[in-house]
Amino acid sequence: MELSFPLWWISIWLPVIVGLGAWFGKVESEKAVKAVAILSALTLAIPGFALIVLYANGSVSQGVLDPWYLHLGKRGIVALAVDGLSAPIVAGVSIITSIVAVYSIKYMRTRIEEMRKEGEKVPGMGAYYFLYNTFSAAMLGLALSTNLVEFYVFLELTLIPSYLLIAYWGYGDRKKISMLYFVWTHIGAVLFLTGVLYYGIKTGTFDYMLVPQLKPLGNIEGILGSAAKIVAFLMMLGLMIKMAVFGVHMWLPYAHAEAPTPVSALLSPNLIGLAGYAMARILVPAFPDILVDWRNYLVFWAFLTIVYGGLVALRQRDFKRFLAYSSVSQMGYLLLGISSMTAFGIAGAMLHYLVHAIGKAILFMTAGLFITELHGLRDIRKMGGMAKLYPLTAAAALFGFMNLVGMPPSPGLWSEWLIILGTTKVYSSSYGQLLLISVAFLLALSVSAAYSFVTMRRIFYGQPRSKIEKREVKSSLLISILLVVVVGLIVFFAAGPVIGDLKAATYRLMSLGG
Amino acid sequence: MEPFLASLIWLFPYFGAILMAILYISGVRKEWPYAITTTTSLFVAAVIATVVGIHVLKTGKPILDVHHWIPWINVNVSTYIDGLSAIMTMLVSWLSFLIGVYSVEYMKGDWGYPRYFFFFAFFVGSMLLVVSAENLLLLFIGWEGTGLASYALIGHWYTDEEEYWVGVPGRKALGLPMYFEPSHSGLRAIMFTRFGDIGMLIGMAVLYHLTGTLSIRGIASAAGGWSGALAAKGMLTLVLFLLTLGAFAKSAQFPFHEWLVTAMTGPTPVSALIHAATMVKAGIYFVLRFAPIIFTGALLSGSHLAILQAREYFLIVAGIGAVTAFILATMALVSNEFKLILAFSTASQIGYMFLAAGAAGAIIEEANRYLFASGIAASLAHLMSHAIFKAALFLISGWALHVAHSRFIDKMGDYAKYMKVTAISMWLAGLSLAGIPPLSGFFSKELTLKAAEDAGLTWVYILGAVTALLTAAYTTRLIIRVFHMPPYEPPEHKPHEAPPLMLVPYTILALAALTFGLAWNYMGRVLSRASELTLALSSPASLAVHLTSHVAMVLGGALTTIGIVIALYLVWHVNFRELIKKSVAARITFNFLFDRWYINSIIYLLFVVGFIGVSYMLWAVDFGIDWFYHIGLVVFAGVASLATRALHRGRPEYYNAMYLALTALGLLLFVLEWLR
Repeated sequence: MELSFPLWWISIWLPVIVGLGAWFGKVESEKAVKAVAILSALTLAIPGFALIVLYANGSVSQGVLDPWYLHLGKRGIVALAVDGLSAPIVAGVSIITSIVAVYSIKYMRTRIEEMRKEGEKVPGMGAYYFLYNTFSAAMLGLALSTNLVEFYVFLELTLIPSYLLIAYWGYGDRKKISMLYFVWTHIGAVLFLTGVLYYGIKTGTFDYMLVPQLKPLGNIEGILGSAAKIVAFLMMLGLMIKMAVFGVHMWLPYAHAEAPTPVSALLSPNLIGLAGYAMARILVPAFPDILVDWRNYLVFWAFLTIVYGGLVALRQRDFKRFLAYSSVSQMGYLLLGISSMTAFGIAGAMLHYLVHAIGKAILFMTAGLFITELHGLRDIRKMGGMAKLYPLTAAAALFGFMNLVGMPPSPGLWSEWLIILGTTKVYSSSYGQLLLISVAFLLALSVSAAYSFVTMRRIFYGQPRSKIEKREVKSSLLISILLVVVVGLIVFFAAGPVIGDLKAATYRLMSLGG
Repeated sequence: MEPFLASLIWLFPYFGAILMAILYISGVRKEWPYAITTTTSLFVAAVIATVVGIHVLKTGKPILDVHHWIPWINVNVSTYIDGLSAIMTMLVSWLSFLIGVYSVEYMKGDWGYPRYFFFFAFFVGSMLLVVSAENLLLLFIGWEGTGLASYALIGHWYTDEEEYWVGVPGRKALGLPMYFEPSHSGLRAIMFTRFGDIGMLIGMAVLYHLTGTLSIRGIASAAGGWSGALAAKGMLTLVLFLLTLGAFAKSAQFPFHEWLVTAMTGPTPVSALIHAATMVKAGIYFVLRFAPIIFTGALLSGSHLAILQAREYFLIVAGIGAVTAFILATMALVSNEFKLILAFSTASQIGYMFLAAGAAGAIIEEANRYLFASGIAASLAHLMSHAIFKAALFLISGWALHVAHSRFIDKMGDYAKYMKVTAISMWLAGLSLAGIPPLSGFFSKELTLKAAEDAGLTWVYILGAVTALLTAAYTTRLIIRVFHMPPYEPPEHKPHEAPPLMLVPYTILALAALTFGLAWNYMGRVLSRASELTLALSSPASLAVHLTSHVAMVLGGALTTIGIVIALYLVWHVNFRELIKKSVAARITFNFLFDRWYINSIIYLLFVVGFIGVSYMLWAVDFGIDWFYHIGLVVFAGVASLATRALHRGRPEYYNAMYLALTALGLLLFVLEWLR
């Protein structure tokens, strides 16, 4: 379906314009910041609300194309579109960035005041909202892209603002860490780009989705011939670095732990998961046979990432660094779903993107709430007994963890179930296979449950391990956390159409891919 | 009858929970709105369950209510009330209501009052969903819901003050602590049960791939096909085992029983409802639901392999049940905490239910449907009678702990002097547990043993029979110590009778144990009718107990044991504490049993300590990776840069020398290549 007006372009540009206004207007006063935050939240929420309408009238499954698209000759067509595969991604980015925009008001104000008190010269709220909105809009652009040139531009556009956000308002050794983040993800991006260039030159187009039919380009292994494996490998490796799977994950704990918390809440679930989306969207239809050949290794790597990330997370003392390692572990589930090369698995991975966005956003926002209200408290060893002081926050955090573990009534149940369905579909044809995959799942899911509930206990139960005078207040921080919880519950109950359209999209991906 | 009524059974408690969540967020902190909301929603659910249940049993037509949810993966909101579900929904809803009423008084003044009732209602909704769901994934949602509520309620007093612990503070076994804080116990509960649930999910996924449906009826009607297909690959036993792994964990069967033991940190009504009467029965319910499907499927498949593998599976079930029954009963003999004794006993008694279900299935080679149905019905009968008398015992323990201000029975004594009605209730419920006629426990326990006898499983039968004697022994010890002997350590407060809101529920339950026993003929007919109406079972069952030589032997043994225990304490005045101090053999035995056969420590050494070790190791690996990228590579690049920079110092003679050397090298290579 083609829209009658350029909704997707508008929803990318509007937040940027709001941000520009805030930057040039040097917004500082409380009222003005609030206005900017609410405007940002509203504009960022546009695609989310649009998707609700589109799901309701059943048009997501055939794909929804923006009417403005640009022919670039050999480089293909630059267009923006949503289909069943990208809808959960777009929804995740839109909803979380929108809510976190409101959350940022109090958090960033406190952070900037604190930094200025320490005598540092940092840009103000206006600049923050400009970078924040650009970052968010670029992520939306990534999810809406149909062409590799466009995709790469948006990829770089996510990188630069997020780098600056960390460099300006981060914690710890933030200059060094932001540089580390930049270099690492840039290496990933360049590896990906190398593959992309070969892809584009050989196939004669950079499109991965045909416009306006909105179908995948299809298997290009034949066109690339003997180079196919190398191209697939380069693109895969680039995306894996971005996704931070085991072995190339090392940048993530630094960047995500030391970024200002609202940015962590976007980086950790949203940005890195987009690499998983790109694998499903671009690599799965293009290199189906190669990916099937690599399946055993990738599945093994996925389980390794889950268990490794989870167990290392258990050893962390810093709440945010713990969450960062948990993100590494969760990326394992995305990789697992995709590498199963089944419709169930890929659908599960895409849904898990949304689930993880919800769960991890809640948890990072919880961490940020403690940082703001309890003078930078982020050492888990100094917490304990927080549930009695912060009951609603504790309930929200429990819900956040349930998303990671896959327990109802969090939508994590659906993604977990789809990923299990996808994996067992491939690995249940003999006794040995089934036994092996069962042991792997028992291990992986137990580790996820263990780090979640152990940390829940360390932070929220028992007796307080340091003196905490404050009590829970109904602040904009708490309310935005609870809003994400409500979104999670809605996704759990309204999963029918989302999963149904994922089915249509993954079938198209798989059948055209051979 | 309107099918939607069936769904309302589980929806109503959920409505109550949602309402309470809204009340809490809007700032209501008074107690009565939560009490009223919970009891009302549970009462309505119980009434609807009764109306629907009686309707099903009378008309003989199961009720099905289906609403679509996620069509692609065949997840529907479908409620199905057949014979088994009718009995279960009625049992669960009425017990929940009674215990809910008791809680209103018990929890008065507690700082977590709203949270308690929120999770209470949420639990009941989830439990009713488990026993009435027709879709496997819907059942799983209820299943996880009960797990979540159990986790939250076990850790209700999550501030971990010592009075809420379980175990003797400071005691260690194999170097590991044997006392547990509420937050630790909650963590254990969710980890142990979650482990089993993962197996269940994998089993469900395999069945889904083979049948394309998650509907239990659909899986039942395709049972011949999938059990044959799996058996041909030798996978039937494995898949069934995975499918019911969650059931073993939920029902606290060996070696998963450890979570249930420490779950006693929860408020006592929670122990009564979740950890005695209902949630731990979810596992056996699941087995009872699937045993007929497996049995029928293997027979229908016409494959001898399927029959062999199904039998193998049923033998595992019976074996685990018998072993659990025995091990846990021995632990109950020496425990010094009121609720802990009851917890051991609960896992042990559920062992009987697994034993009966497994034994019933083990006769699959004879293909005797009537005998099979009788075994399944025996398991269900024991589930029912146990739920009732154990709930009564737990509710009494709640009062006993309250008046003693302690969880240790050493501080309790002579209660019979101060609370007559409670003492009578205790004896009724206790003797039912011990299997003495005419109480319901006698009939149901004999029936489970009969199932083992019919299947010819000698060892299982012997373990069951020995456990019956152990049960009589620990029950009598508990009652004598608490109600008829002076306390070892004098209490600070004088005991008195319980207030009516607490007294009435457990008295009703104790009388129910008696009434069901007296009216066993009638109960037998109801259960046989339910068995006829159960999915894939569809056969009447025999629940009559005849006084055979075996029955007489077990009963005689139990009565003798009771007599001996009474005599030991009240006639011969044996002081067991002194005995343990003096005799080494007695002490070793005591420690072995008191530290729960060291099973907890072994599990911790293998898994918890093991994983902590691995996580330290990986932490070091992570440090290594970090070092490699962020120090190693950087240093290498720095050194390389220094080395190359050393060549470029801006002096012409340097560059000339380098130019000549490289040109010479290039020429050499060129010549070599040309010569080749």
